[in-house]
Amino acid sequence: MPQEQRAELDGITLEVIHHGFLSVAEQMRRTLVRTAFNPGIYEVLDFGISIYTPELKLIAEATGIAVFLGANDMALEHALRHVGPENLRPGDVILLNYPYWSSAHTYDAVLVAPVFMPEPDQHRLVSYLAIRAHWRDLGAKDPGYVLDSTSLHQEGCVFPATRVMKGYEFDSEWIDFIRFNSRMPEIVLGDLNAQVSSIRVGEKGVQDIYARYGHEQVGATIDAVIAHGRRLVQRRLAELPRGSWTASDYMDDDGVSEDPVRVAVTITITADEFIVDFQGSQDQVPGPINMPFGATVAMVKNIFKSLTSPDAPANAGHFEQLKVIAPEGNLFHAVYPAPTFTLWTHMVATEVIRNALAQALPEVGASSAGDEPGFMAVVQEPLTGESFVISNLEGIGWGGTPSHDGASAQQNPCETVGRNTPVEVLEQKAGLFHESLQLRPDSGGPGEYRGGLGIRRVVQASRPGEILSMKKKTLTATRGLAGGQSGANNGFIIYPGTARERRLRMQRAPLSIGDRFVNLSGGGAGYGEPLDRAPQDVLDDVIDGYVSEENAWDIYGVRVRTGNILELSPERAARSGQSGAKTARPHGNGLTPPAHGRARELGEHK
Amino acid sequence: MSVNTTAAFGAGPYRIAVDIGGTFVDAVALDESTGQVRVHKTSNTPDDPAVGVVEAVLGLPVPLDEVTVFMHGTTLGLNAVLQRRGAATGLITNAGFRDVLEIGRGDVPERQMYDLQGVRPRPLIPRRHIGTVTGRIDARGAVATALDEAEARQTARYLVTECGLESLAVCFLHSYANPGHELRVREIIKDEFPQVPVTLSVDVAREYREYERTSSTVIAAYIRPLIDRYLEKLESELRRRGFRGSFWVMRSAGGAMSGSFAREAPLASLFSGPAGGIAATSYIAAQSGQGHLISFDVGGTSLDSCVIHAGGPAQAYEAKLEHMPMLGPVFDLRTIGAGGGSIAHVDDGFLKVGPESAGAVPGPSCYLRGGSDATLTDAAAALGYLRPQNFLAGRMEISVPAARKALTDNLAGQLGLGIDQTAAGIFRVAVSRTVGALREITIERGLDPRDFHLVAFGGFGPMLGPMIMREMRLRGVIVPAAAGALSAWGMLVSDLQHDVSQTVIRPLDEVMWGELEPVFAELEDTATRTLQAQGVPDEEIGITRLTDLRYRRQEHTLTVPVPSGASVPDIRELLDHEHLNHYGHVISGQAEVVTLRVHATGSGRRPVQVTGPGDWKDGDRLEPDFVAQAYDLVREMPCDHGFYTRDRLPAGFRHSGPAVILEDTATTIVGSDQDLRVNETGHLVITQRES
Repeated sequence: MPQEQRAELDGITLEVIHHGFLSVAEQMRRTLVRTAFNPGIYEVLDFGISIYTPELKLIAEATGIAVFLGANDMALEHALRHVGPENLRPGDVILLNYPYWSSAHTYDAVLVAPVFMPEPDQHRLVSYLAIRAHWRDLGAKDPGYVLDSTSLHQEGCVFPATRVMKGYEFDSEWIDFIRFNSRMPEIVLGDLNAQVSSIRVGEKGVQDIYARYGHEQVGATIDAVIAHGRRLVQRRLAELPRGSWTASDYMDDDGVSEDPVRVAVTITITADEFIVDFQGSQDQVPGPINMPFGATVAMVKNIFKSLTSPDAPANAGHFEQLKVIAPEGNLFHAVYPAPTFTLWTHMVATEVIRNALAQALPEVGASSAGDEPGFMAVVQEPLTGESFVISNLEGIGWGGTPSHDGASAQQNPCETVGRNTPVEVLEQKAGLFHESLQLRPDSGGPGEYRGGLGIRRVVQASRPGEILSMKKKTLTATRGLAGGQSGANNGFIIYPGTARERRLRMQRAPLSIGDRFVNLSGGGAGYGEPLDRAPQDVLDDVIDGYVSEENAWDIYGVRVRTGNILELSPERAARSGQSGAKTARPHGNGLTPPAHGRARELGEHK
Repeated sequence: MSVNTTAAFGAGPYRIAVDIGGTFVDAVALDESTGQVRVHKTSNTPDDPAVGVVEAVLGLPVPLDEVTVFMHGTTLGLNAVLQRRGAATGLITNAGFRDVLEIGRGDVPERQMYDLQGVRPRPLIPRRHIGTVTGRIDARGAVATALDEAEARQTARYLVTECGLESLAVCFLHSYANPGHELRVREIIKDEFPQVPVTLSVDVAREYREYERTSSTVIAAYIRPLIDRYLEKLESELRRRGFRGSFWVMRSAGGAMSGSFAREAPLASLFSGPAGGIAATSYIAAQSGQGHLISFDVGGTSLDSCVIHAGGPAQAYEAKLEHMPMLGPVFDLRTIGAGGGSIAHVDDGFLKVGPESAGAVPGPSCYLRGGSDATLTDAAAALGYLRPQNFLAGRMEISVPAARKALTDNLAGQLGLGIDQTAAGIFRVAVSRTVGALREITIERGLDPRDFHLVAFGGFGPMLGPMIMREMRLRGVIVPAAAGALSAWGMLVSDLQHDVSQTVIRPLDEVMWGELEPVFAELEDTATRTLQAQGVPDEEIGITRLTDLRYRRQEHTLTVPVPSGASVPDIRELLDHEHLNHYGHVISGQAEVVTLRVHATGSGRRPVQVTGPGDWKDGDRLEPDFVAQAYDLVREMPCDHGFYTRDRLPAGFRHSGPAVILEDTATTIVGSDQDLRVNETGHLVITQRES
């Protein structure tokens, strides 16, 4: 190419080379989705793919689940530190799932591979690739999912950065090791192969870009892309208010005790930094809800990105202003041997972070129901008696914002592209006969802009087995904003209407034929005073059955009968006369612990 | 305005096809006895689309009473959904499951992944217009709770009388396994309200997954009254003017259906617009013996591409429209926001092209309709590829100075480059985006793009195609005859088709497979009767059986054809083979049959061979129409290009680039490192010259 000799890069070559990297990431993603064995990868997109410079700067990324954003950064650093970059050869692939390094739980397997140029270029190192994907089984103590581990060593076998492939050849001893340590070796090894196929596509793509444009131009492009990312975020950061805001909430328990678990965060925005500090959260706990620090950082990146660069493909420049603080041994910086298997802590924490932010930036909106209130079932096949695992992600209500109502029955903000499982599939494959599946009227938190509605699902088992409720947050309320109120809580009722009826949080329960359960997902919180909601919107809500006539009158001050507005309450009339009708009033600061068990003992936390 | 060719046109009888695009209505006539075609273009009439269609037809040099088939593709249904202009529609579903439509699968569109305040698009039917009825079928198709007929009648009365709805959809759980309750509810509604169209989920897609089936049924019911009125009006307008032939509508997955069938089943034509171009590309594949083609349709705002290999275009049995799923066969298209109207801008030093488009109004700056953005079209004008006097055969004015001004004002200064370099840069960026998309659609099928020819059409396909070939090292670019109206042309070579399906989930073994024979037979019977009702004689009907299979415990399925007399091991092998192709591996253990499909074709009309003008002999010379300066992307400088109007090029013509081939609505640029020939059927074939 004639451009090869140009010293300075024009905006055209920049865009062409940058797009080349983005397309390589997308080709890697499509290869993984095409070749993966487990539906978590190709249906729920439970993976993250990243391309780095030799200096470990993120160039391009193809994410599946948003919360995996940038989680590979720390995994790559740890993997190289452990193996030593000088020991890597072309075709090597490193497997890493040691949670404190891999930035996830043990079943999220990260593969890391160097990219060297082919022969004529003297095997020059040009890039690193990292692919994380959720594996089905690596020999943890229980099949399906682990809800109550108390140590890393109950969570499956651990790879601390192990070269499973050397010079384009699998190490057969390590493959055997995986085969003999997994309950589903065929699927796990299939996914390993799929990740390697994706790495090979990425390796070829990156090599082609360097061969085509030369090291100098590509290097200059990467610098420009990262600098562009930095400037974009700097500009946005400069528009944000400066100050410090704190919020907190409680998770129900840690999976092994009854104690609520405190999650607290302070966000500080300065001229050039965005600091998220978890020091107010409690120390790591005995049960498996602890977060590896890398997973904490990835969770924060998701929120930071949605705030500062939601439309730009991620690169290292987007995160330079972000600083995350969580001391070792904190709930958000788990250290060996803390269990980390059910790290959906990030879903509760994401809402706490948003609560803190919303104090300064109302457009962040009120809280969503803040959980992934789905379930898993282990059922016996009628003919063979074999166990079969099926899962369902349940949508939740999202919070109202200063411009619109929150979404109803939508997947958690941390995994927005996840999907529920159809009723017809749950019934056909697992015999989970549904009596009903509907939105919960009045579950959306009242407000000028209402929170979205949650779901009520009533199921009767027609095969024996076990049900796993996955709830982390059923006891504390969602947080309204600017006068908006809480939405209904998440919940799970097993054996309803019988003497055995009880509520489950993150727990298992046996299912016999005919046993019933009710899964409840929560509503989002409201934004603004309910009395300020437009009467027509209240009327529409009643007609559509989102809000009952009782609540329309009691909370919104609009009396509706047979599809018409009969009267507006005096309180509403009084408000509309005031100029300050829309001013925000203080709302709960989250310092009140939930009212169950020994929760009151936590009252000293201020 | 018609394109003149040298061979005879005018013997008749004729077929006509009409495609409505964003800006133009394309009408194409085929003389069935000579294989010659004529094209006529008019502006579209969005307020009353039938008017533009009739105008376009009347502009063809063809007497309407000699037309045997009128074929039509329309985006009317699609636009009605996108603009929410469909009928006031109600839904009747099971008691306890009123919110299947609103809950959906809970996922947000991928482009909203980082939007932490995001809301999914609203369903087409508000909750107040969803009624429920007691009654339940279980997963095996057995009646768990009897249908409450009185309640069904009451619900229908409420929706029609109280709510004033004009179209009703009905979808019950597991109706794919037992349609009894849906059929009975239709009888009840018809009894009460004979004039209200009722759309049952089992008629739209007898497949499992309740949200996807409900969504499909609702879309169908929503557009049905509109499509019904439109097709009725169009047909009667044509008949009034002497048309006596068959009135056909293009399907989303290729092939045609009768107008009366299309009015009953509007979903089948939802994506019929781009389908014509892909049907044409498959026709070219069959005609030329090329097994690997990529259709490459570049219009004003977007680019559609589809992979065609192993005998057919990539098909899917589910599509999404504004995030709403739609079950049913469609071509598996990849669309990106890049076209002639794509706006170039500089973002912090990076040159971006699209996805914003200047659209038809105000359009590119060089159109002089008030636009001031620099678009891909302006870049083409500035580089000398579009000639003011030849563009759209002189019907539309374009201004090169306006194009150069837009490039200077918006881009060149910020980039620190000259106008030519800036314009060439816009093409380089557009090409890099496109190359990425084409690599992705081939690689996700495990294919190597270098084995493919690109079939380039639409206004900008023939201009971008040769640039793409250079970048991707494709085998060649084919610019078909009538490249500017290829979608309509593709309809001309389509015959009647019909698809039916039924979900039957069970293990793939000898006993179960034996039980499926009557289901297949019933589906074949349905498909056959549907084609017979559209006038196809029995002996012309061809039947293909297909089945969706999966490995046990998987959720996703693969569709394979079932050859007649295939044994269970044969079918298992087909699954393994297809799985290896799609996913790169095979899984041992039990397989499952999920859905049976029957694809029926038949028209009694063999596609006519379309031929190009004259013959070229070695030693013949053909001077260009004129020689002018245009930018050479290889040498990165302007140089002399020979310009040829396409209808002067005889079959067998060969020429070395650089050259520019002009036709009514498209311009082909042959690079200085490329060769051109015209093949025996009149298609331009461009290849990279061996260096």
